[in-house]
Amino acid sequence: MAGKKIFTLKSIFYTIISLVWIFGLTAIGHISMVLVEKYNPAYKFTFGWQMAVAGFIIIYMTRWMKSDSWQSFWGMLGGLALWFAFEYSLMYGGERMGVCYTWNGSYPEYRLMKWTFMPLLMVSTYLLYQESVRCNFIFFLRRVFRLMRTKAIATGKIGNYGPRTAFEYIMITWTFYILLMIAYDPELFGPYSWFTYMLFFASFSVFFYLCYKLLGYGKFGPNLRYAIPTVTVLWNDIEILAKWGMLKEPWVHINWPIMSVIIGGFVVSTYLIVRDLRGKKQEMIESTDIA
Amino acid sequence: MKTFKIIFFVLISFAFAFAVSAEDIKKKTNKQKYAEKVKKMEETFFVASKKGETLKGVFIEGNSFFNGTTEPQKKPFGEAYTADELYAAKQSAERNSKIMFLSYDGTLYFPCPEKGEKVTMSEQSHRIPRALTEEQKKKGLFTWSTPPPLIGRVVEVYGKIYPGFAGVKGIHIESIYFEGEYVVGKKD
Repeated sequence: MAGKKIFTLKSIFYTIISLVWIFGLTAIGHISMVLVEKYNPAYKFTFGWQMAVAGFIIIYMTRWMKSDSWQSFWGMLGGLALWFAFEYSLMYGGERMGVCYTWNGSYPEYRLMKWTFMPLLMVSTYLLYQESVRCNFIFFLRRVFRLMRTKAIATGKIGNYGPRTAFEYIMITWTFYILLMIAYDPELFGPYSWFTYMLFFASFSVFFYLCYKLLGYGKFGPNLRYAIPTVTVLWNDIEILAKWGMLKEPWVHINWPIMSVIIGGFVVSTYLIVRDLRGKKQEMIESTDIA
Repeated sequence: MKTFKIIFFVLISFAFAFAVSAEDIKKKTNKQKYAEKVKKMEETFFVASKKGETLKGVFIEGNSFFNGTTEPQKKPFGEAYTADELYAAKQSAERNSKIMFLSYDGTLYFPCPEKGEKVTMSEQSHRIPRALTEEQKKKGLFTWSTPPPLIGRVVEVYGKIYPGFAGVKGIHIESIYFEGEYVVGKKD
């Protein structure tokens, strides 16, 4: 449980592996899009559809997984696949509508994505009031702004960690993309505005706090799930540094030595996660896993 | 029964995926290896540049040009816009006002797709392969560019030129060369 804040060697190990795994997965996601665009652009929309199908199948398959950790592991992959499909659908829409690149280099799909902020706001509003949501940040908002009519939240056993994790990944990625796009828009703020600096600072400081919280999760399932926002918050800083021209993203410029290290880390962490989960085949879902 | 359901579900999903992919098949295939393609593009560009078969000029923003708000043709070459004009021109360009190519000799070109292509998309979304010198490659500069960030900058282009109409020629830009970085993100 996160609340007890007992850091064990196991939780430290899980935290490191989860962070490396999700960071690696995000980087590999980026480079696979770059490689498709570079080597076979004609395949990209087929790839997008295949990712959509794969994502749905992966999420569907989690219904047969008993362990919440396995469900989270595959749910994360399903969420990533659906996110791919979303980005490719925006690329396709951008081509159909003739959306061009911006003068500061933003891609058409991200220009379109920025204007999905209202759907994001609507979904977020629903989540804000949905009693079965167990997100710490939403709890924080409810508490600070006294959002709920009653203090009641839905308790009990969660049975579908796969779709929940996929949805968590999608929502977090969506939110942070839109935040960055709003920050970069020179007609709203701009890459060198106070907002972008504040975003950079907030992400940098919150990352360490989230790592501290992450250390409290002594099981792979909750640890993996909590690592999603933790890595995404750090990713914000990486994206901003790249926008400022202070960092050449190895997954965009295809720097194979650096990418090999990231892919290597991802492979090793995948192996460690799978080995650990296989050792716990009998582990059942626990209602205390509330991440 | 459960296995049958899964197989049915998977087959239906892939049927949808492949049905939609039919549109891609109409597009050009990309059988040539990327490295070979880049090498050939650069060789062609630099040979053409030596022979004087490339065009030097600037990308200008069409709306303000045609309604006379800006007059890049009257400015010294390479200084098409003032800072304020450039900011407005770039904003308009990213809102899809048409970008034109004004060459060094004052000829106006309309960037367009290759002859014969029918349903086409905006050339402002077209990723133009960038010919890089060895020195530029060492710096790890971006390997392609699109017109909007290049508004007002001196560039050299290679491509097919079409007669066009009323003095405005058409150009299908196949490759481009310019100094510096394409991706803005650094103050400029």
